[in-house]
Amino acid sequence: MAQKVLDALTAKWADAIVRTGSAHGDEIVWVKRDSLLDVATWLRDDPAMAFDSPVFCTCIDWLDWHPTGRPPSETWTEDKPRFTVCYQLRSLAHHHRLRVEVELPEHDPRLSSLAGLWPAFNWQERETFDMYGIRFDGHPDLRRIYMYEEFIGYPLRKDYPKEKRQPLVRRDDLIDAPHKAEHK
Amino acid sequence: MSDQVTLTIDGHQVSVPKGTNVLEAAKLVGIDISAFCYHPGLPVVAQCRQCLVSVEKNPKLQPSCQQTCGEGMVVHTTDAQSTLARKQQLEFTLVNHPIDCPICDKAGECTLQKLYFDHDNANSRVDTPKVHKAKVVDLGPHIVLDQERCILCSRCIRVCDEVAGQHQLEFAHRGDHELLTTAPGEQLDNAYSLNTVDVCPVGALTAKDYRFTMRAWELDATPSVCTGCSTGCNIEIHHKNGRAWRLIPRHNADVNKYWMCDEGRFTYHDLRVERLASATVDGLPAGWDRAIAQAAKRLGVFLKDPAQIGVVLSAVHNNEDNFALARLAREWKVGHVFVAGKPPVPARADGRLKTADVNPNTAGVKAIAEALGLSTRPAYELEGTLGSLRALVTLGDVLPGAPTGKLKELELISISAHERGAVPHAKVALPSAAWAECAGTITNAKGMVQRQHAAFAPPGQAIAGWEAVVRLAHATGVKLPWVHARDVFKEMIGQVPAWKDLTWPREARPLALRFAGSRG
Amino acid sequence: MPDQSTLKQLVLGRKDVQDLSDEEHALPPDLMTVNMGPSHPAMHGTVRIVLTVDGEKIVKGDVQPGYLHRCFEKESEHATYTQVFPYTDRLNYVSPMINNCGWAMAVEKVLGIYGKVPKRAEYIRVIVSEMSRMTDHLTCIGASAMELGAFTAFLYFLKAREWLYELLETVSGARLTHSYVRVGGVSKDLPAGFDASLTNCLERIDGVIAEVEGLLNNNKIFYDRMSGIGAMTKADAIASGCVGPIARACGVDYDVRRDYPYSVYPELEFDVPVGTSGDCLDRYLVRVEELKQCIRILRQCLKQIPAGPIMIDDHRVALPPKTDAYNTIESMIRHFKHIMDGIRVPAGEAYAFVEGGNGELGFFIVADGTGRPYKAYCRSPSFVHLSTSEQLIKGHLIADVVPIFGMINMIGGECDK
Repeated sequence: MAQKVLDALTAKWADAIVRTGSAHGDEIVWVKRDSLLDVATWLRDDPAMAFDSPVFCTCIDWLDWHPTGRPPSETWTEDKPRFTVCYQLRSLAHHHRLRVEVELPEHDPRLSSLAGLWPAFNWQERETFDMYGIRFDGHPDLRRIYMYEEFIGYPLRKDYPKEKRQPLVRRDDLIDAPHKAEHK
Repeated sequence: MSDQVTLTIDGHQVSVPKGTNVLEAAKLVGIDISAFCYHPGLPVVAQCRQCLVSVEKNPKLQPSCQQTCGEGMVVHTTDAQSTLARKQQLEFTLVNHPIDCPICDKAGECTLQKLYFDHDNANSRVDTPKVHKAKVVDLGPHIVLDQERCILCSRCIRVCDEVAGQHQLEFAHRGDHELLTTAPGEQLDNAYSLNTVDVCPVGALTAKDYRFTMRAWELDATPSVCTGCSTGCNIEIHHKNGRAWRLIPRHNADVNKYWMCDEGRFTYHDLRVERLASATVDGLPAGWDRAIAQAAKRLGVFLKDPAQIGVVLSAVHNNEDNFALARLAREWKVGHVFVAGKPPVPARADGRLKTADVNPNTAGVKAIAEALGLSTRPAYELEGTLGSLRALVTLGDVLPGAPTGKLKELELISISAHERGAVPHAKVALPSAAWAECAGTITNAKGMVQRQHAAFAPPGQAIAGWEAVVRLAHATGVKLPWVHARDVFKEMIGQVPAWKDLTWPREARPLALRFAGSRG
Repeated sequence: MPDQSTLKQLVLGRKDVQDLSDEEHALPPDLMTVNMGPSHPAMHGTVRIVLTVDGEKIVKGDVQPGYLHRCFEKESEHATYTQVFPYTDRLNYVSPMINNCGWAMAVEKVLGIYGKVPKRAEYIRVIVSEMSRMTDHLTCIGASAMELGAFTAFLYFLKAREWLYELLETVSGARLTHSYVRVGGVSKDLPAGFDASLTNCLERIDGVIAEVEGLLNNNKIFYDRMSGIGAMTKADAIASGCVGPIARACGVDYDVRRDYPYSVYPELEFDVPVGTSGDCLDRYLVRVEELKQCIRILRQCLKQIPAGPIMIDDHRVALPPKTDAYNTIESMIRHFKHIMDGIRVPAGEAYAFVEGGNGELGFFIVADGTGRPYKAYCRSPSFVHLSTSEQLIKGHLIADVVPIFGMINMIGGECDK
């Protein structure tokens, strides 16, 4: 459906792109971490691309990836990247959709924030940080959004057990510390 | 590369070592050719005819479990002929199969269910009455047979013949009425009989220990190593809600292949027997803080003259616990170091999987003590030394050769998972986690260091043995800088030369059997 | 930051500084931090806003969601695809059928049976989805009106909503937590007499909408409180990811049903109302018009729905009939594997989206060949809309937070997942 988007991308950004693919009606492009901001800016601003609508930002943790019905070589091993951050974009004018995916290693899960390009990703990147521990460089306000501040760990990671309990935290002050400092 | 052959299966090229059969080669490209009677650890009989595939240049279908891969061979598993053969074979197997799924133990991990759903999934075409056979046949001390469910794959017969070396099961009669039964004059009582329950693809053979107690889809599986003897068979602990329900063997080509002995399977019962769940002082429950303070106080008196202190390492506890205590013993400069363990059982050694030494970590303790420069003596020499000892810090509850009367006179500090043996006589007892609750390593008789994963949390106030040692050390002024079992491991492999190249595998998360794809 | 004297004037009204009494001089001139929620009648579905106010005017708002976070994603990773349906019910809990349909569509996409669901099942899905959309809009408008003091509108709309809930109860067995849709179709057929009941219900709802429009549309108080409040430009709306009635109120002409049609929407005629100014009033008007379009769609569906099966005829996906399951081993095994293993979806990833009550509601599934999702992400429109609220309430009075929040229709279950 958006094959021409993939073609344009591979033509212009050949060394920023790891691979492209198409699955179940979606076009997907895997981009190198360092080139993400440049490629994303071009995707938004180039008139033929015009990806003005952000759809979602999330992350996939491949730690337990052991697909059945596939060759054993596709199972995740320690040498493969652990996280993939996915950004889904849409163009209102041209009617096409694209998913931009960036693979990140376990020991250094950081990439540039796209919140400056599309404000919707502000909160969605906060959510990805909260749930997976991905750090977004350049994000204006990277703090937890769903979980409380004292929460330890990143709940949606595969090695965070579902049944794990954390102590109940009691706050006696009304206003959270960072906010207090700011408006003074 | 003369020992590799390349063949094509469903258009995928795959290179395998010579002698591999087509079924295994197909697994490498993610193709599951159904099979019942084939098992990689047993001789091939090609009896069930479920794995038939088309091999080019061959007019008849070939059983892929028996067909050796040939150079340039072209195999089709999804063509009309093979697919029909597979479906018809499943239909044939199901014609007389009783509708027992709701009450059958194997439900949820049943190969027949899995293969029917994956390869056939058609409605029944018959409505004639099914052949009836005996439903509850007592085969021996551990196993019950349901003859109607048996699909006559003969895996159990081969297990008894090959793994146990005893012919105890065989088929009788033929056709519709063929059934599994014991060999004349025999019972199913060999030392490896419960492996037949593992390999049985249906719920025909069920273990008395496990049947009707738990459903397979409720269980989580955690890999570990058996602590029944010094072989160290790789196992999986099947547990739910903090309680182990059964142990099954895990494949390890170097240690136990696909099998384990029956005795080892029952070691999980010990996890819930006489557990020490809270720290005690003089036999009464106390908190950790008080118990540690008391232990430090009582030991403190003798730390100035440590020749009067003895430390007992345990061949039942893992490497990390022993290393921690041995390190502490060295810091304290204690006078005597002993190694305790259960006494050997020579009758057990059968040249297959069972050894005479019933302690899982004898080699490990020996290596650790040597590496730290501690000279150790076996624990039954304790009696002779009791005269010169005033304090004793022990790991574990096994303390042979120590009469309880004499123990009561000592300042006995026990770090133990169970409240039995010497532990009730301890002045301070510190509860430790048992083997299934520990992340750690143990060393088998061959010197292989194997990792155990923690399946669930220890009961009550119990913590890992090495952690108890760290707290005790801290209270006596010795800093042991370990926060995680991995830290203990790292320091340990730095000290033991034979272990310097080992790595610490990541903690295994429990695998939900429900979604593990019926590995039965 | 204005100086002391100006502040005091603002705080105390139009007095001159020299006219202030001693007590009035002692009042603090600083900005005040006020907490709104999470336990607050107007904070629908528990949201906390920490407002920094200058008198009554909001200088800054820190919107903090997450009080209703129930780990939808984590739970879905431990449940089969069919077991996720009850979780989806509880996402946007005022239009649960749409969530069910969205999830079913996403699984069907990864399975490769997308578009192969039987026609009758698709029509049933559209019927219940549009009924759910109506309950969503009725609740939103009714609750917002009540918070502005128009209690009558609330009662009228909730009465209309109750008629729809009664009908949905006859279809699925529950008023709200339906879990009605299944992968490959729906779980049960429509009950006998549904046609007539729904037609009757729609006629009455037509009347109720007319009544409430008469109460609100030209109501000076309602108009003053809604018009010009919380306006958003079209460009802002697009860049902030806004969808649904909120985006349409700003002039963004986007509706998933028309632009990326799914199910049987291509066979149905409906208009997509688009506003101009993006303020609360336009959002209200768009929603009322959508209600009327829902009724139009439902009437067409009732005419066009064919007879036929309600579940795809694929043994990998459909449960066998109970008589077969009890009497033959084959169907027993199939039933067993469906329930215990779940529907085995081949490894892959797909994103499927539907037009929810609030806009584009999507599910991003990563499947790994087993019966449970490896990852099940819900793209919730409420979350995105809530993120815009910080901008929308800036510069308005505290009292304006109420209509702004009401018209954003932030459903806590969907926002916090």
